[in-house]
Amino acid sequence: MNLDLPMAIRAFEILLGWSLLLQSAEYLRLRALDRVGDWRIQRAEVPSARVRQGLDWLYQPAPYAGMLWLRAALALALMLGQAGLGSAVLLFAMALLLLLRWRGAFNGGSDFMTLVGLTGLLLAHVLGLFTNPARAWHVALWYVTVQSLSSYFVSGWVKLMRPEWRTGRAMTVFLDNGVYGPLSDRSIYRWPRLAMLCSWGFTLWEGLFPIALLDVRLAVVFCAIATVFHFLVFWFFGLNRFFWAWLSTFPAILYAASG
Amino acid sequence: MTANCSPPRIRRFTSRIEASTFNTIIQGMEFTALLTVAYFVLLAVALRKRQRTVNGPWLFLLRAFFPNWQFFHGLGPAARLWVRAQDGQGQWSLWHPVYPRLPRQASHLLHNPAVNLALSHQNLVEHLATDIHDLAENADIRDCVSYQLVMRLARDAVQGGRWGDIPLVEQPSWSSAEAFQFEVRLLRLGQPGDEQLLLSPQMPLRP
Repeated sequence: MNLDLPMAIRAFEILLGWSLLLQSAEYLRLRALDRVGDWRIQRAEVPSARVRQGLDWLYQPAPYAGMLWLRAALALALMLGQAGLGSAVLLFAMALLLLLRWRGAFNGGSDFMTLVGLTGLLLAHVLGLFTNPARAWHVALWYVTVQSLSSYFVSGWVKLMRPEWRTGRAMTVFLDNGVYGPLSDRSIYRWPRLAMLCSWGFTLWEGLFPIALLDVRLAVVFCAIATVFHFLVFWFFGLNRFFWAWLSTFPAILYAASG
Repeated sequence: MTANCSPPRIRRFTSRIEASTFNTIIQGMEFTALLTVAYFVLLAVALRKRQRTVNGPWLFLLRAFFPNWQFFHGLGPAARLWVRAQDGQGQWSLWHPVYPRLPRQASHLLHNPAVNLALSHQNLVEHLATDIHDLAENADIRDCVSYQLVMRLARDAVQGGRWGDIPLVEQPSWSSAEAFQFEVRLLRLGQPGDEQLLLSPQMPLRP
């Protein structure tokens, strides 16, 4: 059942590449949809005049579109196992440029987790220059694992400390305010006992996620629940990017738990 | 006695986990495992402490490097944008909320630009609320980027802007509108009522 290093690397590259590809397609579509974002206004937030000038050029329609197409092509190369150090550097740099274009984040946590994946990829290729590639990938996958486990751990424990989560009330309220909400009047998530049960279930599962490292079978169970959890988050809140961004970290977790 | 009552397969699984735990933490003495345990213990301790907010323009733009991973953590105040329009006769409409509500589609799992854009617009409103809260004395909120972008969002809402196929505001047409105004209100999620945080000046729709 163990996930060996070559398999973990391949699965990580495919899932991260897929996540980047979907994001790139959305960014390309957003150029026509967004009538609010305006770089001429946003540029005032960049403190350095030199950086601002560089970004002024880059965020013009043609270079910006070129960057997004290049990102999509590199994502595809990553999925095909053809991305080397240059691709990793470019993908990381483009992630930074996209963060600046969207005032630090376009889609919150999914941008953060995407950056974690890309940092892992960059680590693997940069460290690979100084040590053997297997050791470099080992470090990179552990980095991704620790970040991903931290995200669940923190998310679970902050909920545990909040009374509104312990009673289950917070879950119903958030679901009511979701982009695909509100819940119907007869929704089962309005049942206080069920809401409390779901809240405790997800809170404990998130908070205990680090124990997945103890045994790969445990890791499989935790990751399977995580897949369902992220699908539900998409289903109620529309956060499709979260689903793919977190899924791309699961090969790293399974690899670390296999050690 | 209890262990004997367990089904054999479960017993085998738990005993392996116990052995694995023991090996990993006590016998194995692996540096990585110890570091990992220490890290999560420290993280748990840090979460219980009051956290300081560090501000700065670069930190704001590069905050993705310092994720706090606290999603949907509590029912704090939430900011909402409201808009209204004035027609050619000088009559003001009622206030209407600009809040993302879109129909769900399974295909959104693969491609969801309109919903993600709507969510980013709602984040913008939240950022404006934070900027108002943190505004320095004698500073003018109208100089803030978040204010100027929310103003564009409000104008777009009055002019019939859409998130994909869904209008930003569910209301009768404002095609004859000549001016608009927006308001940011704070509400406590799950509780009735709200309070006004910001009321913009009345502005011509086509400057």
